[in-house]
Amino acid sequence: MAHLAHYREAHPLVFVITHWINLIAMIVLIVTGFCIHFPFWPYFESLARGMHVFFGFVIFLNCVFRIIAAFFVKTAPTGGTRKQVTDYKTWLPQKDNRHQGLIWIKYYLFLKKDHPLGAKLGVPQKISYLFIPVLIIVMFYTGMCLWVPTMNLPFFAAGTNLVGGLMSMRIIHYFMMYIFIIFMFIHVYLANIEGIAPTKLMFFWKEHGGLVYDPDTHTIVGEDDLGESEKH
Amino acid sequence: MVNEATASEFSGMLEARGVTRRSFMKLCGTIAVAAGLSELAAPRVASALENSVIGATKGNLYPVIWIEGASCTGCTESFAQVETPDPAEVVLELLSLNYSETLSAAAGWSMEEAKEQTIESGNYVLVYEGAVLEGWGGQALRVADKPGTEHLIEAAKNAKTVVALGSCAVNGGWMGAHPNSSDALGVEQFLKKSGIEVPVVNIPGCPANPEWLVSVLVDVIMLDSKQLKLTSDNKPEGIFGQTIHDNCERRGHFENGEFVYKFGSEEEAKGYCLYPLGCRGPQTKSTCGITMWNNRRSWCVQAGSPCIGCCEANPNDPGDNWVEVNTPFYKRHRDLRIGDWMVQPGTIALTLTGLVAAALVVHGFGMKATGRMDGGADFETIRKWDKDHPENSIGTYDLTDEEKAQACKENSGNLTQKERLYDTIGVRPDMKKNDTEGGQE
Repeated sequence: MAHLAHYREAHPLVFVITHWINLIAMIVLIVTGFCIHFPFWPYFESLARGMHVFFGFVIFLNCVFRIIAAFFVKTAPTGGTRKQVTDYKTWLPQKDNRHQGLIWIKYYLFLKKDHPLGAKLGVPQKISYLFIPVLIIVMFYTGMCLWVPTMNLPFFAAGTNLVGGLMSMRIIHYFMMYIFIIFMFIHVYLANIEGIAPTKLMFFWKEHGGLVYDPDTHTIVGEDDLGESEKH
Repeated sequence: MVNEATASEFSGMLEARGVTRRSFMKLCGTIAVAAGLSELAAPRVASALENSVIGATKGNLYPVIWIEGASCTGCTESFAQVETPDPAEVVLELLSLNYSETLSAAAGWSMEEAKEQTIESGNYVLVYEGAVLEGWGGQALRVADKPGTEHLIEAAKNAKTVVALGSCAVNGGWMGAHPNSSDALGVEQFLKKSGIEVPVVNIPGCPANPEWLVSVLVDVIMLDSKQLKLTSDNKPEGIFGQTIHDNCERRGHFENGEFVYKFGSEEEAKGYCLYPLGCRGPQTKSTCGITMWNNRRSWCVQAGSPCIGCCEANPNDPGDNWVEVNTPFYKRHRDLRIGDWMVQPGTIALTLTGLVAAALVVHGFGMKATGRMDGGADFETIRKWDKDHPENSIGTYDLTDEEKAQACKENSGNLTQKERLYDTIGVRPDMKKNDTEGGQE
């Protein structure tokens, strides 16, 4: 058993819910966005526009909530532990990850054979996740620049002028959607390629036994099979 | 006391030109609405026009200078095509068009003299049609022994207001499109660069609608010019404040999801929405669908053509000219330019996404080959960094078995159901307090 135990402490229920909202909103936004770009399902067009705007607000507010919650909710700083710290600390550089930027890349590219001992989020993983709220906020802004009821507000009109008009803004909004799509490809791939235990935990809050890691001594200290051996 | 209806002097003038009072009042209403006023302001507009016209007989007309820059004269043409006799023409005939390269009967030296005199006496409106060309020292528009740029500076200095007529005058238009070898730009930007402070009103369009010009002239000259509400880029808000899509006669079909995907199709015959054919209505701001063209006979979308966005013009950015921004017209996006290569944004995006997807598939085979798909590779027993720098080691690797067991217990928690419930809100009682309770599920 190579991986660390997947405990609920890594993803408290509140973040399981925000993750669900993100997933649903992103998929709806992508599908309706394509419909708005070109009406290949003609009769869905009006509904698509309404849903697009609604879920745009949903994902933005969800993002704001998630950022605020990071300062109040406790999560595990690493895999394989039930110990918790305030969530925002797991988004800052952690001792468990120090000097590991390049090592993670090497691991991904098969240049390093064994799995790095790290925090809950590996270095490239954490950096890319940190871009997501930034992307969501910028995406929301570009969306508001294109939405007729808000496009003439000075805050949004200034941005439209800056990028060279509504067509440029549309193209930026469109390209950014592909950044989300590409992120989702990579994210889904990496989250599942070594087994679907992380997905079961993230979506269904289902725990999975594995190695136990101590975030204080930054090392693996044992194994927890969640009581499987005692049951049998 | 007047006890019988008498025709005013002005009515007589209208009648002599074959214009009914009713059609004149209709024009006044349109102008009022275009100026951002309520239609109820029509009598005020009428009275302003009337006074001005009566003034005309006394020689008090506002002079207008109409200069052509780098233009196709399309805006003048559009303007001159107004049918006679027509209320719009009445109004404009009654302005004193002191200088117009196309419309004035005079030419040469006497024309230039008339212009100089008008400039000297001041308080006139300058209508500038076409782009300003800074290239070649302004020599491309050399007239009467002076570069075109100098003519504009001279005429703008003393003007009450400058009207930049047509998209070329607003930001270079066609002239500003790639590669813009003549360094074309709009009037407002050029005057700002030349340090001339004069109010500029931008009326984009290719060509600009003559009725928009009438509306602006009436606002500037005859009504209190404060009535003319402008957008942040100095376009009349009543005309350029909303998108064409907002007021489109085919909007109902858009909402119903009834679209034209191909010219010559049944859908086209039914007059469905032209959005899939690249209509720029949703991103182009103007009242084309309300003002319409050629005496309100028709307009592009009514005639079956998707909007090509000819009113798109950012006065401070010749790069944001409507040609560059909207071509190819029938595609939903503009083309992007990479060197000499023109490419649709969708092609770039799909290619990139395809490459990433392919890379992930290849990587997946790598994962399979290295046996990482079942839980990943085994963990390193000691961090690479710690191995190389034992003096700065991050991890502690020399724990005794007891210490390990204790740490394992602390970290694995072994919680009761109740305690798990606390986790739902991310807060739970101190771990150490519970770690001896055991109670695995």
